[in-house]
Amino acid sequence: MWKYLLKRSLLMIPTLLGVAVVIFFLIRIIPGDVVELRMSGDTGSVSEEILKSERARFGLDKPVWQQFVTWIAGVARLDFGTSMWTGAPIWDEIKLRFALSMQVAVMATLIAVSLAIPLGVIAALKQDSWIDYAVRIFSIAGLATPSFWLGIVFILSLLIIFKWLPPMVYTPFWVDPWQNIQQLIWPALAVGYRYSAVATRMTRSAMLEVLREDYIRTARAKGLWQKLVLWRHALKNAMLPVMTVVGIEFAFLLGGLVVTEQVFNLNGLGLLFVQAVAHRDYTLIQALVMLVAGFTILVNFAMDVMYGWLDPRIRYR
Amino acid sequence: MHRRIAHVVTLATLILAVAVAPVAAQQDKPRSGGELVFVVPSQPPSYDAHQEETFGVIHPMAPHYGTLLRVDPFEKTGTKPVGDLAESWTISKDGLTYTFKLRKGVKFHDGAELTSKDAKASYDKIIFPPAGLKSSRKATYASVEAVEAPDPSTVRFRLKWPESSFLLNLASPWNWIYRAETLAKDIRWYEKNVNGTGPFTFVEHVKGSHWVGKKNANYWDKGKPYLDGYRALFISASAPQVAAIRGERAFIQFRGFSPPERDQLVNALGPKITVQQSGWDCVLMVAMHHDKKPFSDKRVRRALTLALDRYEGSKNLSRITIVRDVGGVQVPGTPYATPPAELEKLAGYGKDINAARAEAKKLLKEAGVPDGFAFTFKNRGIPHPYEPIGVWLIDQWRQIGLNVKQEFVEASAYHPMLKRGDFEVAMDFACGFIVEPDLDLFRFVSTSDANYGKHKDAVIDELYVKQARAADPEERKKILRQFEKRLLDEEAHIMYTLWWNRIIPHNSRVKGWTITPSHYLNNQLDTVWLSE
Repeated sequence: MWKYLLKRSLLMIPTLLGVAVVIFFLIRIIPGDVVELRMSGDTGSVSEEILKSERARFGLDKPVWQQFVTWIAGVARLDFGTSMWTGAPIWDEIKLRFALSMQVAVMATLIAVSLAIPLGVIAALKQDSWIDYAVRIFSIAGLATPSFWLGIVFILSLLIIFKWLPPMVYTPFWVDPWQNIQQLIWPALAVGYRYSAVATRMTRSAMLEVLREDYIRTARAKGLWQKLVLWRHALKNAMLPVMTVVGIEFAFLLGGLVVTEQVFNLNGLGLLFVQAVAHRDYTLIQALVMLVAGFTILVNFAMDVMYGWLDPRIRYR
Repeated sequence: MHRRIAHVVTLATLILAVAVAPVAAQQDKPRSGGELVFVVPSQPPSYDAHQEETFGVIHPMAPHYGTLLRVDPFEKTGTKPVGDLAESWTISKDGLTYTFKLRKGVKFHDGAELTSKDAKASYDKIIFPPAGLKSSRKATYASVEAVEAPDPSTVRFRLKWPESSFLLNLASPWNWIYRAETLAKDIRWYEKNVNGTGPFTFVEHVKGSHWVGKKNANYWDKGKPYLDGYRALFISASAPQVAAIRGERAFIQFRGFSPPERDQLVNALGPKITVQQSGWDCVLMVAMHHDKKPFSDKRVRRALTLALDRYEGSKNLSRITIVRDVGGVQVPGTPYATPPAELEKLAGYGKDINAARAEAKKLLKEAGVPDGFAFTFKNRGIPHPYEPIGVWLIDQWRQIGLNVKQEFVEASAYHPMLKRGDFEVAMDFACGFIVEPDLDLFRFVSTSDANYGKHKDAVIDELYVKQARAADPEERKKILRQFEKRLLDEEAHIMYTLWWNRIIPHNSRVKGWTITPSHYLNNQLDTVWLSE
């Protein structure tokens, strides 16, 4: 087990290195230059002398390979440099947004899981009954409804019916829990609903498959309690594909909620990503991609470890 | 009986009027207290206004700073300079020396006293920046020979030539006065820090989220500011901006909303919303590349402007986007704007559109441009007002037999495209911070970086200089009309579409703020207060 964990941890390094190479060179292919954009402003007029001096300040006058080596050496020390747009340290740009995006992702996951697992199990147990149809309608509607649209519906309903709008400024949970929940519950619900729809359908189909397995029939034939059969034998095994879906969605939520963040005016990583690309803020884009890639790899790793706990037949080598 | 009822009603009305009058008067009297929450649709890249060009710097940060002069915060054209840190000033008879007396007892937020050294150091940074340091508006002070501080309360500007716009240009909202001592230690200090003499002190900036300021108890103008503080919320998308005002999470957004957004707010909030509207010193223009055929031919350029029915366009486009006024080279309603009778004489501004289009077709034929001639019009990839104006232009040009393809250029790649001259015909735009011909028209001088169409016109260059040095406003107006005729009619170097329309629907509790034609002005917030 420990050997496997070590091997997997070491395997993360070449993956991240690959991501680093791709993003570093890809962002430089896109037309537009951060210094020119930053300095030209709205009038578009800036002298060549200023452009040269700014490029030198950010090290953009050096050969690309040299820029890459400098950057990757910094990344190895967890130093991502400073934003080329604002001049602030990258971590200052990211930390608050990371906390917000992470909280929305966690809340949406909790909402999704707490809806999906009971609904998926009930639908599977009551297959082709009205309950199953109701759950299927609920989940297909979730799949068909974009989160941002649901977000707009929430905002308009709150405004029109209750003449109330969620707070516009993010307050960390530890500063004011009530204010924090008032702001983040709505995006978490909007995102969590779509997320739960995917997980509900996966839970239902996995449960249906598991319930037809020989070991379930054997357990029932032994006279085990229905509850015990469901919880100990069926659900635990059905959870494998569900966990995969939950893991992938959770990793996506960290940086992928661009439109939903706009709708709720959330100062999250998704919006920061879009702004960074629009500004061609190389250092910030690189840091964000590395952060999301690292997070996705970690979540996948955690899922793989969890498979072994859920299914003892899986052995780590 | 009816007369009796009428008397009773009149008496009741009078009693009510007498009773309400003190309340109304009280309502008009500035009241202290409260926090003004407002929306800012952009964000500050750095904190140094001398370098920056976005209102994302001005709106949240102007309340921290003082300027030598400012525009009168209650004057609607935003063209009347009044003293801010300067108490009084004199201009020498030859117009070459401007001497300013500074107010006494003005303090920076760190407690240091303001002296003329601070004003000199700030203006030296703006006009004569050290190598490698950007100063966005350096070119507009080309006439300045030196800035001097002969004594602690006097600042003197010596000019190389007289310039009629100079005083108003010193009221620029960008020219914040910084501490000389700080600049001497680190010229880039103000890029990341705040220390001014303004009515509000800095509290916090949470990147991407908000900016907070609180009342400066040592502000030189005793009794002001009225507000206890302010909070600027950074919201980039327009729907949440409208929602913030509608949900009363914010009182105002100082840049502007579109007509449908205004209507939505008015319908939802009724008397809780007050709408202020003004012409706006922003305009979309069409740049035609003078080195690319057939746009090198002035007949073709003239035909393109003749095809536009600006008056009909104004009626329809003003309902859906932020444009309204038909005008010449200055915002309609401001001191140097073109009188309507003169405007109608310019190509493309006449009221008989059929005659104009017939002339346009004739000109195209004379220039050898075949019917159905196709070209690409490059537009900026921003919805308002670029997209509707682009669609309108294409429709208008089709009416004279041109076949135009519109290509949207991503906002980040737009200016580099214009600078490279990688276009035949493209949307150009200008947004001024004060309505002043010198500031607005410099871009049309042959050597200007913003002359994207690359015209070379010695007459335009000469007329620009002449109007800038004309001391008599009437004389200046005459020269400006010649400049305009040459630019838009005879040579048709560029074409103006419609001037923007600034619409500010704000919470009716916000008082003491007056709209001007520039979203860069009137953001010190010292005169603003909140009613009960």
